[in-house]
Amino acid sequence: MSASKATAANRFGLGARPGELERGGGDGREILLAQLRRPPALDAFAGLPGSVETMRLEFRQQQLNRAARVRRAAAAGDGEPAMAAAADPAAPVAAADETPPRARRRARDADPAQAARERSSAARAGAGADGAADSGETLRRELRRQQLAEFAARYRHAADTDAPFVERLSQFWSNHFAVSIDKGNARLYAGSMEREAIRPHVLGRFEDMLLAVEWHPAMLRYLDNAASIGDDSRAAMRAQKLGREKRGLNENLAREILELHTLGVDGGYRQEDVIELARAITGWSTPGPRDEDAAQSFVFRANAHEPGARRVLGRSYAEGGQEQGRAVLADLARHPATARHLSFKLARHFVADQPPPALVERMAQAYLREDGDLRALYRALVESEQAWSADARKFKTPNDFVISALRAGELPVDDQARALVGLLASLGQPVFTPRSPAGFPDTAADWSSPDGLFKRIQAAQMFAARVDSGDISPYQRALAVLGSQAVSGDFAIGLRRAGSASDGCSLLFASPAFQWRV
Amino acid sequence: MSALERQRRGLLAAFGASALLTLFPRVAAAGAGDTRLLLVLLRGGLDGLHLLPPYAEPAYAGLRRDGAVADPIRIDGLFGLHPAMRQSAAMYRAGQLLPLVAVAPPYRQRSHFDAQDCLENGTATPNGARDGWLGRCVRAMSGGQALAVAAVMPLALRGGSDRVSNWWPPLPRPVDPQLLQQLQPLYAADPRLSETFERSAGSGGMPRDGKGAFALPEAMRVAAQRMSAADGPRIGFVEDSGWDSHRNQAPQLQRKLAELDQGLAAAREGFGAAWPRTVVAVVTEFGRTAALNGTDGTDHGTGGMALLCGGAVRGGRIGGDWPGLGPSQLNEGRDLRATTDLRAVFKSVLVEHLGLADAAVERSVFPDSRGLPPLRDWLRA
Repeated sequence: MSASKATAANRFGLGARPGELERGGGDGREILLAQLRRPPALDAFAGLPGSVETMRLEFRQQQLNRAARVRRAAAAGDGEPAMAAAADPAAPVAAADETPPRARRRARDADPAQAARERSSAARAGAGADGAADSGETLRRELRRQQLAEFAARYRHAADTDAPFVERLSQFWSNHFAVSIDKGNARLYAGSMEREAIRPHVLGRFEDMLLAVEWHPAMLRYLDNAASIGDDSRAAMRAQKLGREKRGLNENLAREILELHTLGVDGGYRQEDVIELARAITGWSTPGPRDEDAAQSFVFRANAHEPGARRVLGRSYAEGGQEQGRAVLADLARHPATARHLSFKLARHFVADQPPPALVERMAQAYLREDGDLRALYRALVESEQAWSADARKFKTPNDFVISALRAGELPVDDQARALVGLLASLGQPVFTPRSPAGFPDTAADWSSPDGLFKRIQAAQMFAARVDSGDISPYQRALAVLGSQAVSGDFAIGLRRAGSASDGCSLLFASPAFQWRV
Repeated sequence: MSALERQRRGLLAAFGASALLTLFPRVAAAGAGDTRLLLVLLRGGLDGLHLLPPYAEPAYAGLRRDGAVADPIRIDGLFGLHPAMRQSAAMYRAGQLLPLVAVAPPYRQRSHFDAQDCLENGTATPNGARDGWLGRCVRAMSGGQALAVAAVMPLALRGGSDRVSNWWPPLPRPVDPQLLQQLQPLYAADPRLSETFERSAGSGGMPRDGKGAFALPEAMRVAAQRMSAADGPRIGFVEDSGWDSHRNQAPQLQRKLAELDQGLAAAREGFGAAWPRTVVAVVTEFGRTAALNGTDGTDHGTGGMALLCGGAVRGGRIGGDWPGLGPSQLNEGRDLRATTDLRAVFKSVLVEHLGLADAAVERSVFPDSRGLPPLRDWLRA
């Protein structure tokens, strides 16, 4: 089976940019394997704040909001709420600039770029303030601005990268470990999770990615583990002694680790395993407003950890604080059910809605043989004959349709990216907002509705209007991004006869050939 | 001529007369085929004990501690409606709302996604069918359309019928008719997309009232308005997410239940004169734990609830069999036992309200459901 460059770019990549098919080795397979050998440049993400920094801004904003409420209540002459709020130790009166905590100073000393980022974001936010009434609002706007900058960077990188296969993989894992920004307390961290937990491990071991994700504030908050407390933990005991309301176990994250992140729903776990894993990861949490010194966005709360040995999938795990849950995850990452689950999803993503079982099995064996090395898994995919089969077709998701249009049209992504975010929502795939932790679906039936196709045609016209034609005709552009095999008959005639570059590009982006990965 | 009208005419010009029939179908047979069903799927597992608190049940207060609904609207000696459901309570008193307790699809595990798939595919297992029971229902009907107000076609309505469509607020930009004309032969040559394309022009360009977020009340209003037309879809589908309440659920559900309440009122208004011929079924994939968890929320459980609402419903009372909340009455000691299979509710609606034949329902819409007893006395005579 020939491994054509057009297939490499469209089935495994993000759609070609003009010129992409002429570059690189002679063989599509070799082009993909070369991308796996070196991590891609991530310049588009430089300067974005890390999750620790975002969390400080978030807490600061909450503090200012509380202080503003206190002031408003006092001004209204309503003494009671003001006193109640002032009695809340988490609601200090808006003070002048806080002394930078030790950890922050350490981080600044170690990383001048970090210091520069902090200075610039503080300056933008105007947050040095002695509590101007709108400071909380200013910070809220700053956080929103940062989120848009994060989304812009994501799409700018996807549109520009020279390693589109690796970017497809990064976005695949990001969706595998789906978090949704419609859950308020996780809202600000979906983008940083992709940058901090997915991208560093996309060419590494699954176990490392798994742990980085489950420790990230986006996931710990989205699936409620940050607040989960062992029923027999010191924290629960103390609360009981003080007559406070009992807090306790939350099994949400543990269930999704088993069902979605590792074994798969048919992976052979039971309700007892869910509860035992939930207990093993009690204490895995995120810093709160009082943890000013936190240098990481993960904290282990020993007080909240359920003491004792745990038994998951028939194996016993001795008490070991935060290491206990880590040991369970390490075994889950190596489990044959996990190998099959991940292989099936990857094969479905790249090859066919119903991928050939032999391909899935081959990938799973490579994963297990190489101890969970993701590169081995990808190589097994790329090196198989089935992955290059002429029958293999995937209908682009709205997200991939948009990215491929940005690439084919060489369209710039501006810093605000509001329009892009709105467009993806209209097309049915809002950025980082899947309707469940299962992530966005991945088959043609999910995305090929009449309404969805109509909106793609509308979007095609909007993109085409922005294409700077330069000296490439729409026909040449179509050849350059789809390859000559896909451009023939009525399609070729229509492209050649297009009355304007914009009309021709509309036809290209709206064409059936552009909706499929072949 | 409005922008919409211009667009519509443009489409007609682009497609020619042959496409007219599929774009703007003629009125379906009137009379018996005049009833309407709107399914509202609340994704995430609505806590039925919070929507319909059994305030007089001795175990309730202990299980929910200070998460118990303090001031329910007492509609029954045992049950009350959450105070955010004011308009629903009025519908209950008007005999148009029938809450069904302890209902669940046959799936008895605790995965949202599997439970939703099972509810939507109409079988006892998540992989029991690749299409949806409403999609099969449309195929089993001799005529009539179905409409999902959703950005993507939900599983419940999939099933290959060309009488099913979905709608979501469109982009503002009108489509160039000439582009559609050029695309027509290209899509006609694509076996997977030709039909989708033919129907895409009909689905686009419909107007939307209002601005801002398109939330449940607006989606229900739009569905009801479309369905109220004489030749409107007989089956509608609306979905909503955000009902998973593991943590601090009281304020979350306060907000969500208020939306549902507004949605039901908006649907009644949207259906207008068709309301007496309408059933709105509000369902969710499973219930939640009977006790509050350690974070003031509830975890995944079994027995949930359903609401049947509409002028065709004989409401004003509580339906379903209440299994109780005592320690020995709970499923696995943790959640409400399901006593009614949700498929039995759906079957009853299809047969008694939409007029499908029993045999057709049991053969193609809900296979393996023969043993399920129908719901009794739920339909207004």
